[in-house]
Amino acid sequence: MKKTLYILLVFLFLGGCVTTPERQSVAKDEHKEKFTKHYKSSMFKVTEKGLYSVELVLKSGELKKGANEVNLIIHDNKDRDVVDAEITIQPWMPEMGHGIDIEPVIEEKGGGLYHVSNLVLTMGGHWELRVGITKAGVSDMAVFDFPRVGGMKMKHRHVKRPDKIDISTVQVSENRTYKVSYIPEITPVRINTIHSWTVKITDSKGNPVTGARIAVEADMPEHGHGLPTAPEVVEELPGGEYIIDGMKFQMPGWWVVKLHISSPVGKDTVTFQLDISR
Amino acid sequence: MKKVYISILCTLLMHVWVASSWAGESSLHKWSQKEIEILKGLHMGSLPPLRKDPSNRYDQVPEAIALGRKFFFENRFSGNKKVSCATCHPENMNFADNLPLAHGMGTTSRRTMPLQGVAYSPWLFWDGRKDSTWSQALGPIESPVEHGFTRTQIAVVVIRFYSDEYEKVFGPLPEIDIDKLPLQAKPSPDEPGPLKAWVTLPEETREAINRIYVNVGKAIGAFVRTIMPTPSRFDRYVQAIIDGDVKQAESILNENEVRGLRLFIGKAKCINCHNGPMLTDYDFHAIGVPDAEGLPPDNGRAEGIPKVLNDEFNCLSPYSDAKPRQCRTLRFMSTDVVKYRRAFKTPTLRNVAERPPYMHAGQFATLHDVLHFYRDMPEEKRPPDLAHGNLTDDELVYLEEFLKTLSAPLEYFKE
Ligand SMILES: [Cu+2]
Repeated sequence: MKKTLYILLVFLFLGGCVTTPERQSVAKDEHKEKFTKHYKSSMFKVTEKGLYSVELVLKSGELKKGANEVNLIIHDNKDRDVVDAEITIQPWMPEMGHGIDIEPVIEEKGGGLYHVSNLVLTMGGHWELRVGITKAGVSDMAVFDFPRVGGMKMKHRHVKRPDKIDISTVQVSENRTYKVSYIPEITPVRINTIHSWTVKITDSKGNPVTGARIAVEADMPEHGHGLPTAPEVVEELPGGEYIIDGMKFQMPGWWVVKLHISSPVGKDTVTFQLDISR
Repeated sequence: MKKVYISILCTLLMHVWVASSWAGESSLHKWSQKEIEILKGLHMGSLPPLRKDPSNRYDQVPEAIALGRKFFFENRFSGNKKVSCATCHPENMNFADNLPLAHGMGTTSRRTMPLQGVAYSPWLFWDGRKDSTWSQALGPIESPVEHGFTRTQIAVVVIRFYSDEYEKVFGPLPEIDIDKLPLQAKPSPDEPGPLKAWVTLPEETREAINRIYVNVGKAIGAFVRTIMPTPSRFDRYVQAIIDGDVKQAESILNENEVRGLRLFIGKAKCINCHNGPMLTDYDFHAIGVPDAEGLPPDNGRAEGIPKVLNDEFNCLSPYSDAKPRQCRTLRFMSTDVVKYRRAFKTPTLRNVAERPPYMHAGQFATLHDVLHFYRDMPEEKRPPDLAHGNLTDDELVYLEEFLKTLSAPLEYFKE
């Protein structure tokens, strides 16, 4: 039963890309022989200690800037589904030696399938996804390499500026988890000036949200590029306020700033828009 | 009269964009409130007051600036005693040689960058591998193809020839027995000999030499930060428009120049990147300029990012006088090496017409070539922010005419 559910889930996920789950033996390397790749369009890795195989399937077919969804299918070296494991996934920029301070949501679906959402990358570049697997007190890791995340996308050519832009500095998050407002250090926000934002987060009842983690993603949709900076939270103040430093807009025009927020209250994304004149 | 009428009619037909707001020639000088806002943004009047460089405690200190000026012109700071900062940044040429590739002891792989308004630039060099003018000044000194010198030799020259002036600004020189120093000593990973000589020096000696070296950089950096543009014809025109004095405006820019200006802030979208009073966004863009002939591919900013992060003299280094919270530019730098592959810094357009050839390795000889390059870029290769509308040949001429209005003498510390 579990196996059926698992196949069904993967099927739904792959959206019919794969007609039958096929078994492809990965030969050659000695300890890789014990492992089998089950899904054609997955990325396949054996963990560093050789305990597990991890298959990674990206929902949108590619890793992108912003929020990603990923399925991980994990087998042990006897080709058994790995259930009840503690899974971590950490996006990492190897050249820069830093990751992202936001926790993805990982749900175990059964049959060795783990669904990862809210995997936020705040910028393009060379990324690794470091998948950690801990079971019965033993940890192992597989690293997936993505050398070119978010190169120039020609689809941006067709993003047209809407007639009306909601430039309100108070917004409710997509799933109505949070109400968020911001006050920029400089008013009006002008180009080429590095500055901070003080962000206030409350829950749906108006209570301040503390201990939240925020990842910042900002873009000029018409141009398909982001900021010249990588802003981050530098301080949490009392009363659900956070200082995000390093905001800098280098072009006049329409900007979209997304804050991916995770806290005990939930994970959600709030969007602000700016129309910067000069 | 009829002739005039016909010529106006021709202009009308050729440039539909003019026609849309055309109501007699004076309308060329009539700007909407929104356009005036944009013009104000480009106007020199919106240059913010210059703040002290927090990483350089000697910035804006008159004695340091004066000494920095001397260092800037100091030929003894070079392997052949013939190269100074002024070799590539000649004073009589607005501090920028007009060579495709900078030439010191040898030939570099990039074009000399202009210095005016450099105090406002968060990043230095075409790839932004330095984050202050003082740390920038130290790079060329140890480059074998520029000054061909070492920090050890700098210490020797300073102790021999500048001890009084140095000590007046920076305090007592350290005790170093200069006769015993290995002169070819510097931490250069590409030069095993000098590297070995450097790492085998006692740590206190290295530290003492670095202090002198950094202070030389801070003096030069303080001087270079005084180099500023002055109002150009363009700025005087915008001032007249702000003052509502159309008659005055008409006497400053001719019709073609104003047409060029309209294109610059409108259809041609040049202000996507050339914005603000220095006409640069200080960011890095991969615009697809071909590599210069005979040079290896240049990855630009993608390689500048790790360099500035690891730079021994960056804002967060022990030699910087800034507190970490003052190093926002470095701390919050985008490390997206994919986006910045083959990207180069947007240069200021002030004095651009005085400064051929163009691009990071002088690939284009004239402004005409540059403008044609931007227009003729195939659409499938062109990032969306580089769309310049379908400019006609005439419009390219207007843009070029406009760019020439951005020239003006420089202002800087002169003694
Ligand atoms: Cu843009």
